[in-house]
Amino acid sequence: MGDIPNSFEHFPNILGEWLKGTGPESDIVISTRLRFARNVKGFPFTGRASNPQRRDVLQLVESALKEVHLDRSVVTLELQNTPEIKRDVLVERHLISRELANGEGPRGVAFGRGEMLSIMINEEDHLRLQWIKSGFDVDRAYAALCKVDRALERVLPYATSQRYGYLTACPTNVGTGMRASVMVHLPALTLKENIDQVFKAAQRMNHAVRGLYGEGTRAFGDMYQISNQTTLGRTEESIVDAIKAIVPKIIEFERQRRGQLYTEERSLVEDKVLRSLALLRSARRLNVQEMMSHLSMLRLGIDLGIITDVPAAVVNELFILGQPSHLQESEGQTLPPAERDTLRAELMRSRLAAGTN
Amino acid sequence: MDCQCCNKKPARIRICDVEENSIEDQVNVCPDCFNLVKRYMFEMTKPLQSTADIVREVQTLLNPAETGLAKLPEPGGIAPVKSSESVPACPECGITLSEFRARGRFGCPHDYEVFADHLDPLFERIHDVQPARHEGRLPESSGGEEIVTKQHKLAELRKKLEAAVAEEAYELAAKLRDEIVELEGQPKAKERS
Repeated sequence: MGDIPNSFEHFPNILGEWLKGTGPESDIVISTRLRFARNVKGFPFTGRASNPQRRDVLQLVESALKEVHLDRSVVTLELQNTPEIKRDVLVERHLISRELANGEGPRGVAFGRGEMLSIMINEEDHLRLQWIKSGFDVDRAYAALCKVDRALERVLPYATSQRYGYLTACPTNVGTGMRASVMVHLPALTLKENIDQVFKAAQRMNHAVRGLYGEGTRAFGDMYQISNQTTLGRTEESIVDAIKAIVPKIIEFERQRRGQLYTEERSLVEDKVLRSLALLRSARRLNVQEMMSHLSMLRLGIDLGIITDVPAAVVNELFILGQPSHLQESEGQTLPPAERDTLRAELMRSRLAAGTN
Repeated sequence: MDCQCCNKKPARIRICDVEENSIEDQVNVCPDCFNLVKRYMFEMTKPLQSTADIVREVQTLLNPAETGLAKLPEPGGIAPVKSSESVPACPECGITLSEFRARGRFGCPHDYEVFADHLDPLFERIHDVQPARHEGRLPESSGGEEIVTKQHKLAELRKKLEAAVAEEAYELAAKLRDEIVELEGQPKAKERS
């Protein structure tokens, strides 16, 4: 079984489907992500497994994936010997977590065409199956992920119990092991200082609001992730239904504030959006936060019809391509922050120049 | 000043409960205890209300005899916590209940059975549900047992081999190595050729 590729030959060059900027409610919802936490029966959880045991789990999952023939394009990448910068690229693309990238011992990730499916191996749990869709599309992401899960469970015995369902390393994931997470862009609610209300309302309904890169990260570029907090004592369908009930309310709130901004404070919002566009088209140095906050204004401007010559998909892509590791990866070397800022500014200028899109 | 949680290490962090811009209560803790307190503050779906409540919860994770639970002011008074030392460690992974509570992570799936009597209250609070019982789906069938059994056998043999080498029992080591090679060479029952 020495055929787990260590090189990036198989690494997809095109960015994930979820960045297309299409799908339902895509003016506000960037992506919908579903994940199942699963563990292989008979092994200790990753945190307590020895390296040989982790290797066994990695190989078991790898052969199970081959056996179920999910899709010929599913590729497993061993992360133990993958350079740090490449691992960081995967984090920036939301294919793996920061924990898996920085982890130790045998571990890997499998992903499919279009980067919709990704399977983290030996993260906190042996398997973290994830499906990302562009826009607000919980049902389809759920159906797609279930299909993968059902295929795998036929060849890979999961650790389960009648009483507690799918057994996970952390008690916050036990039961369904399911997290439904919707990434939303809320610039108007942020501008109007209504974001706290959203946080509190979501919390009351047992949902969490986090930043772009998950737990403990800041909400750069007015991007937020809304996800269910509880996994035990409710069915997968009821978790799906809950997020399908909460997110539209937030979407409606954001739209209402956008409308208000546009009718009551039109010159203010036009000024903000067009200044951001001018800045991104002219700046010679840009740090990540600056880039993200101006790209956020661009997205808002596109939605309000203030900007017509830049497609939403380009803005979505730039959010990822301008991240530190993507810049360094495209240059093939590690760069000091000042050089990254220069490179980032160049990228923005070339992709956003008038007449290019 | 000593940490008001473990009563051992020097306190370096002050946690204040703030209500309407006035400090209602404060507790001084050491960085180690702060890490535990933090978990209770942010990782629970329904966090405990006051810092004193959280600190008391954290103290139950530590050895009660050493921390002297009584030292913290207890207006309502709480029932003495049952020591978790009486619960045996998991025979599969060796984790103890206090270790689980301190780290917040299980060691292996078997822990759910071993610590069953202690888990429901925790799960009820984390998941805001009662009773703490799974309602979702479960695998229809669990196949693939054969592959896993083989991997287990291999893992066990490798462990024995390591021990044999460490003890310089080379005859046994050679025998074990042969067994491993043989087992590895076997085509897997379910793998396509």
